[in-house]
Amino acid sequence: MTAPSFAELPTADAAAPVAGPPAALVLERVSRWYGNVVAVNDITFALGAGVTGLLGPNGAGKTTILHMLAGLLKPSAGRVSVGGQPAWRNPAVYRSIGLVPEREAVQAFLSGRGFVELAARLQGLPDPVAAAAKAIATVDLEVAADRMVGTYSKGMRQRVKIAAALVHEPSILLLDEPFNGMDPRQRIHMIALLRSMADAGRAILFSSHILEEVERLADGVLVIHAGRLAAAGDFREIRRLMTDRPHTFVVRSSDDRRLAAAFMTEPAVFGTELRDSRLTVKVAEFGGFTRAVARVARDAGVSLFEVAPTDDSLESVFAYLVSRR
Amino acid sequence: MIFMTLAGVTLRALLGRRRTILMLLLAGVPVLMGLLVRANGGGVRDVGAVLDGLVVRVVLPLVALVFGTAALGSELEDGTAVHILTKPIRRSTIILAKIAVAGTLTAVMLVPSTILAGILLGRAGSGSLGITFGMAVGVLVGSYIYVAIFIALSVITSRGLILGLGYALIWEGVLAGLLPGSQVFSVREYVRGIAATINPAAADSIVGTGAVLYAAVALAAATAIASVRLAVYELRGSD
Repeated sequence: MTAPSFAELPTADAAAPVAGPPAALVLERVSRWYGNVVAVNDITFALGAGVTGLLGPNGAGKTTILHMLAGLLKPSAGRVSVGGQPAWRNPAVYRSIGLVPEREAVQAFLSGRGFVELAARLQGLPDPVAAAAKAIATVDLEVAADRMVGTYSKGMRQRVKIAAALVHEPSILLLDEPFNGMDPRQRIHMIALLRSMADAGRAILFSSHILEEVERLADGVLVIHAGRLAAAGDFREIRRLMTDRPHTFVVRSSDDRRLAAAFMTEPAVFGTELRDSRLTVKVAEFGGFTRAVARVARDAGVSLFEVAPTDDSLESVFAYLVSRR
Repeated sequence: MIFMTLAGVTLRALLGRRRTILMLLLAGVPVLMGLLVRANGGGVRDVGAVLDGLVVRVVLPLVALVFGTAALGSELEDGTAVHILTKPIRRSTIILAKIAVAGTLTAVMLVPSTILAGILLGRAGSGSLGITFGMAVGVLVGSYIYVAIFIALSVITSRGLILGLGYALIWEGVLAGLLPGSQVFSVREYVRGIAATINPAAADSIVGTGAVLYAAVALAAATAIASVRLAVYELRGSD
């Protein structure tokens, strides 16, 4: 697995080049608004080869970012470039881009093979039939290739779109929620495929609202929340930030009052609350508390019935990451 | 090569079964009228006026509207256009392929319909054959102009069908006849003018032989506007 060339440009000096080869995908102070609604707010990043996950809850602005990179939306402010060229109003960039849109719409009257061959022909490839056959084999869709796309399952449509996006072997691949509708076996296959493409030097950016998908596939991660870049960098670093943030647990036990007193002697705990016969524990550090909780209960002679984190929704994680910037 | 690929996929998309049958029925209306007149032993004196009222005023704009807005507008709406837009193709090539296919489909349905209807309707010895030929050429040219305008409309707005219908019914049908000088902006007048250029008895046209020039300008302008608008087309439905 190659390390990604991943760099976050300093916001104040957005035009400064990143060291090494020119970044494949660059956003410089990019914003996009629809009327009064700001979908993307002053985002700057530069991505090179490797797999990068665009992580954020639904409606965070992930699709807007991908569509601006794919030249399908004009940035309201800032500069979007792909392979050193502007993405907007520049059809030539599509020689090096493959886009897998989230919407399922595919010409239903075509067979899977016909759909991929159409993409190959529109790319002007010298041997569209061979290129399409190769792309179809890559996504493991040979068995169904001659069926009409209209009869495909969600996962098959996803794969035929990926085959069409790969057919001209682009150096940049943009995928919008590529794992939606895939079964676990297809997911594993797709993750392996995208990894091998990244190892061959391609820049791959995919969006997802599922943490585990990003964790398994991506080298770098961009966390988007409410149109802002909440965090960017190595996934392990982001993971650490996420686990180190303050957590709240709800605890049920044989003696909540005694347990609350015992918890307060722990350095990881900074507050307890006993209300409506429910014990809530605020902790500064996830790991420290989860290691201590059983010992504390045993020493206090209290039986634990339940320990549950209350706010582990992705939404609260994103909100936390945004608030600390 | 790419033009032919685009044309092929557009043709397959447009020839959906239900739409094709409906349009064939619509194109059959003038022929049916001709058969009725002929069955009653009649024949009209002014074939040009009847073809104008039946084909040029009603059937031609409707068929062109359906094919024109479906050629690109419905692909933009349902999202399949993304697969064509994200290719290294000049936007004018996409527009020209769409106009060629939708215009040809319209013409293939309506030129034979015009000729058959003209032959059936015309009274022997009234010069109806020449008039019919003139109208048929006008319909042929008009098919491409109408389609180009409706394709441009469908790129500019997602309400291309409604606006196109409004143009055909309100502007062409009512206003363009009332306001002097406004005929210069009426495709129906171009069609009549071209017919009159070929056979002066086909229609009394205000624009006359100038219609050829107007038609060329209209076709070029609609193509250019559609291409430019497609180049700055922003995908709808991003989050």
